[in-house]
Amino acid sequence: MMASAGVIDLSLWQLGLAVLLVGVVIVISAREALGLERDLVVGAVRTIVQLYLVGFILASVFAAGRWYWVVLLLIAMTLVATQAAVARLKKPIPGGYEIAATAITVSTAITLAWVIGVVVRVRPWYEPQYAIPIAGMILGNAMTSAALAGDRLQSDLRARTDEVEALLALGFSGRDAVQPMVRSAVRAAMIPTVSGMMTVGLVQLPGMMTGQILAGASPLLAIEYQIVVVFMLAVATSLASLLFVRLAVGRYLTPAHQLRRYLL
Amino acid sequence: MPVLADVSFEVERNTSLTLVGPSGSGKSTLLRCLNRLEEPTQGSVRMDTRDIKELDPLQLRRRAALVLQTPVLFEGSVADNLQTQPASARVDLSQPRLARALTDVGLDPDFLDRDGTTLSGGEKQRVTIARALLGDPEALLLDEPTAALDPPNAALVVDTIAALRQSHGLTIVVVTHQPELIRRLGGCVLYLVGGRVQANECMDGIAHELTDRRVRAFLDGQRPRAAR
Repeated sequence: MMASAGVIDLSLWQLGLAVLLVGVVIVISAREALGLERDLVVGAVRTIVQLYLVGFILASVFAAGRWYWVVLLLIAMTLVATQAAVARLKKPIPGGYEIAATAITVSTAITLAWVIGVVVRVRPWYEPQYAIPIAGMILGNAMTSAALAGDRLQSDLRARTDEVEALLALGFSGRDAVQPMVRSAVRAAMIPTVSGMMTVGLVQLPGMMTGQILAGASPLLAIEYQIVVVFMLAVATSLASLLFVRLAVGRYLTPAHQLRRYLL
Repeated sequence: MPVLADVSFEVERNTSLTLVGPSGSGKSTLLRCLNRLEEPTQGSVRMDTRDIKELDPLQLRRRAALVLQTPVLFEGSVADNLQTQPASARVDLSQPRLARALTDVGLDPDFLDRDGTTLSGGEKQRVTIARALLGDPEALLLDEPTAALDPPNAALVVDTIAALRQSHGLTIVVVTHQPELIRRLGGCVLYLVGGRVQANECMDGIAHELTDRRVRAFLDGQRPRAAR
């Protein structure tokens, strides 16, 4: 195998040496009776199989260089992200799948279009080397924040039912009565992103930046990209959580401004 | 399983109706149906001959104000809490009006600046009643207003409610286990068991006592025991 510029190629037996690291974890688990051995083996196998699978798919999409393959891959990634976000909710929301799909798709599409089309100016726009990893980062964060916001909305509505009904009883509209919960859910989903901005680069180097530096990019170019990424993820997480919460909260209200308590 | 079945009754303007019965008998659900916090799956609720489904639910809730069992005070002072009113309701929120609302429920106007969290349970409940009164409702719906209170505080809230009925000419529908409140309010008593009306009895004048054996037996069982 050819080494790309500045990167040390990894041979299969070198990967094998990395597997030994998991062996260490399994030994620790066994000695300390953590009971994680089985999960570790399954997890290790899945890591290898899933990543190889993704590697082959990416390699062929990169090689093909066709926009429709890129779009198809993005759609598949969005579906997986939607599924994962819905699965993280403790209690199902009626129409949760559609809500998550809308929130994740819209927030990702807007952010991706701005970053690829306006900021980085990738030409052609579907250049897989840019479009796929950037979309992946946005999707992953949009998914997490949508799930976080949804979870928080549910638990807040449950814990603060009396508060909502007190406002409804005073003649507030359903939207107004749940506004405090909407706000706290979106806040909860955005806090990790905002506090991440405070310490970025100081505690540990972000994954993408690390990857770029390992791949031989200059640290200055790497941080420039990282700045774009931080801001891009900030907008993606806020859009995804806000959209998700705004759409989801409607499911808990009736047109007659009643709280559907049985859903909580 | 429906919570309520074959429940039919009328409340005259300026009178009161008390809903009594064991827990789980559907009293609270019935009360919540009256201002459409809950939607009956069958049947209808009428206000001045109009089905309440034809009314704007938000206006209906200001005309028939519901006070919940657990008093909900929002962050901030008592004044902030009294001012928590929908903008569309155009409630008079001037200081004198807020002070009067507090006096109406037997609280000193000095309470306006107090932090809501520092109030006792009975004071909180009276603030929530004052908040409901600010919207000038025609009817007051009260869900076990004294259930969470100790006897002295409960007695104060009973006094407040009985006084309000007189002074404000309110129609009152109340869920309660308090024989004292029932006696003071007079009016009619609806005894619910398992979502069905077991007795519906009215008292004409304060002196009149309830005669239905089952209602009396139920209420006697609710009196605090002397020996503990």
